[in-house]
Amino acid sequence: MNLRTLLRIARWEVTKNAGGVDRRTVVVGALALLAVGIAAPYAATSGVAVDSGIYRVGVTDDSRYYDVVDQDPTFAVRDQRADLGDEVELRIDGLAIDAAPTSKAAAAQTELRSSVRAYNNRQMRQESNQSAAFPVRVSLGYTERAQVNEIIATGDGPESTTDDEPTADGTGAGDGEGDGGTGTADGNGSDGTAGGAGGGGENIDDVAGGAGGVGGIAGRLAGGNTSGTPADIAPPFPFQSLVLAFLFVLPLNFIIQAYGSTMLSERLNRRGELLLVAPVSRFDIIGGKTLPYLSAAIGIAAVIAAALEFPAVDPLSVATSVLAVVPIALLFLSATFLGAMFARSFKELTFVTVTVTVSLTTYAFVPAIFTDVGAVALISPLTIVVRNLQGQAVGLGEFAFSLVPPLLTAGVLFGLGAGIYREEDMFTQRSIPLKALDALAARVHGKWSVAAVTAILLPFVFVTELVGVATLFAIPNALSIPTVLVVVVVVEEFAKSLHVYAGYAHDRFEAGLGPALVVGAFSGIGFFVGEKLTLLAQLVGLPDSVVEGQAALATGTGIPSLPIAIGLLLAPLALHVVTAAISAVGASKTRRTYLAAVTLSMAIHFAYNYTVVSISGLV
Amino acid sequence: MIEVRDLRKEYGGFTAVEGSTFSVDTGEVFGIIGPNGAGKTTTLKMLAGLLEPTDGDVSVAGHDAGTTEMRRKLGFLPEESPLYEEMTPLSYLHFFADLYDVADGVADRRIHDTLDELDLEHRDRQLGDMSKGMKRKVAIARSLINDPDVLVYDEPASGLDPLTTNYVIDFTSDLADQGKTIVFSAHNLYHVESICDRIAIMNEGRVVAQGPLEDLRAEHGETEYHVFTTVEVPGSVQENGRYRSVVESMDGVDRIRTDAQDADGSVVDIRTEESSLEEVFLDLAESGATP
Repeated sequence: MNLRTLLRIARWEVTKNAGGVDRRTVVVGALALLAVGIAAPYAATSGVAVDSGIYRVGVTDDSRYYDVVDQDPTFAVRDQRADLGDEVELRIDGLAIDAAPTSKAAAAQTELRSSVRAYNNRQMRQESNQSAAFPVRVSLGYTERAQVNEIIATGDGPESTTDDEPTADGTGAGDGEGDGGTGTADGNGSDGTAGGAGGGGENIDDVAGGAGGVGGIAGRLAGGNTSGTPADIAPPFPFQSLVLAFLFVLPLNFIIQAYGSTMLSERLNRRGELLLVAPVSRFDIIGGKTLPYLSAAIGIAAVIAAALEFPAVDPLSVATSVLAVVPIALLFLSATFLGAMFARSFKELTFVTVTVTVSLTTYAFVPAIFTDVGAVALISPLTIVVRNLQGQAVGLGEFAFSLVPPLLTAGVLFGLGAGIYREEDMFTQRSIPLKALDALAARVHGKWSVAAVTAILLPFVFVTELVGVATLFAIPNALSIPTVLVVVVVVEEFAKSLHVYAGYAHDRFEAGLGPALVVGAFSGIGFFVGEKLTLLAQLVGLPDSVVEGQAALATGTGIPSLPIAIGLLLAPLALHVVTAAISAVGASKTRRTYLAAVTLSMAIHFAYNYTVVSISGLV
Repeated sequence: MIEVRDLRKEYGGFTAVEGSTFSVDTGEVFGIIGPNGAGKTTTLKMLAGLLEPTDGDVSVAGHDAGTTEMRRKLGFLPEESPLYEEMTPLSYLHFFADLYDVADGVADRRIHDTLDELDLEHRDRQLGDMSKGMKRKVAIARSLINDPDVLVYDEPASGLDPLTTNYVIDFTSDLADQGKTIVFSAHNLYHVESICDRIAIMNEGRVVAQGPLEDLRAEHGETEYHVFTTVEVPGSVQENGRYRSVVESMDGVDRIRTDAQDADGSVVDIRTEESSLEEVFLDLAESGATP
């Protein structure tokens, strides 16, 4: 790959696309973006008052309710003598409230009750002695399932530490050192923000304080201005994680639309043929055409990260967030690239991009929502972003666990796409499944390459399995573990055999039982070697904290003796070699025999995995 | 300049080109003709390094086909003009000049000179808004952006109106006069006949005949002698007060002369008519000839 050529192609890619947009569109687009940029933060923090002035209330300015009504935009203040029913919904005389006999007036009464409660809260917050104003404060948060069981069993949790000191103006700072329990009381006159410092711990206080850990716009988006009083108790929905994850993943969905379109347009009408004749490599072309979109994704992530920290922007923190977004961006782009290489029309490309969007958004977005829930969230690199923006420390092992699998998967997808980025594959109108086989077959030339391809596919397998874990971890173990096991065997058996089938479909191997067994054995060995990469998961203790993770990664608990350890090491090797060989024998015949063989392999694999997790006591 | 040895290309189980061997000298215009599916385009794409041969060797300007060095010395014009339609001719040509490492000043001059020669106006208009003929001219200009030694043109006048077709063919002929080595395929055999020094005829993936047009005629064509006499002889037809007989050998001419003298007449004119390239091509294609 030639960097100079790659940059040239990247520059022209930008120029080319810029030529397709006229100046008027650019101006209109810029103005629209500016308007959204101004309106969105305001709308997010202040709300969109579509119900402004819908209830008319007759009240005098000397009434105790006057301020309540006046400060709530839902109400329109009218003369107290106005006609009830025709001119006002409510009429307030001293402490007496008269409502018109209409459903709208009933709704106005309900709204008034809420307004009075909110007004009283505001008034209480202005008290100098917050302990007197709010004698009971409750923090809600997430904790590990095992810890909850312990708390329920003992009926008591560890005492929390309450070392917040009041200041002269009644403000204090929660240090987030509470270590979980039935509740924490951090009174003594603190100002009562629901936040606290967040910290990096795993305790209830820390988690509850997460919202307050984010400054600037992010903090306001997270609603970090609640009092923590019983009246404010709400289900601990991870709104902040959701918003942060959404902000970073949303732009990628737009970027891949443009990227997929430009890659597919190279294939339609043979437009990319002349680039293939030019003195540049296909890797220069792919890299050059991808770079502007990757740059856009990184740039947008940097702007979002900086905006969320505004005005106290920490360049190191922004860089950490951006670094964590890079693998996600590459994963989106690589999947779209491969899809664009498979699609035969823009109609098919739409299907591809929607599939990519849904699948990868699920992978990146859903686990990140549960950043504060448990280690399983680390499956997604966005969790690193969310943690970073919440001011929580991110360990190197966690960083690697989150980022390396998608990074390697992106490499695999780009590699598969590059394999068919050549004249005789790019411009043919073969169906998507056949193109997929072409892409795999392009990498298969002998038994060693079979082992290599199997090993290279491991990150893809790993990510798919982790997505399965992330999707299923919330349901009961009795159901989730068998389901995860099914997902695992299906993904792994196809990963070991699909390229072998593609190789046979392209006459890459000799026919016969012997060669098929050899090819299958090499695939099994490749998988066994690659599978050891999953040991990375141990670095962050995912399998220890999530039983589905143990099931997916086929790990047990406890430290086995040496003979058992050797057995545990060799048993997977035997399993993978046997099942891959069975599939390879089927693949060497016809598609039907392949499907039958791979199904048999899956059954054997499932039986093995189920036995392992049963012995481990997971089910 | 171009050496092709035992070239073979398979797509799956289908053999598109089988055992093609030919060479093209420097400054020569080499035409490849044949019916649809004969393997012309596949051969040209292998020459251009777009397709990897299944077997055989291709060398262009001293470099193996597909290498970066070879690509720098080659200009390829595919049958269609797949341009980036959102670009203007100038930006499009500058883009390719950039890819070929042509210095900005040189590229600018070369682009304007070539577009002047091709008589292309509206250089700032988007390519998507241009006519097919104008696009073809831009595509030709692109093939010349690196001042290549070798040009591989696949149907350069395909789908163009007669006026533009003649313009393109004349321009190609001028390039040959400038010393470029050109490999050229066309369905219009008149164009091939008019500008090619040597011709290869392909059928079913194989080169079934090749050489100068005269040699092809001699080997695969026919020569007819139109003999005009003052008197009627057996097999003659009257034409403008004379009698015309058609024979295929000089023995036939001698026989007619004898017949005319026996009838107190004489031979007044003999004209020779040779087979056109089209007739040679049709004969070979219809006979399913193999080398």
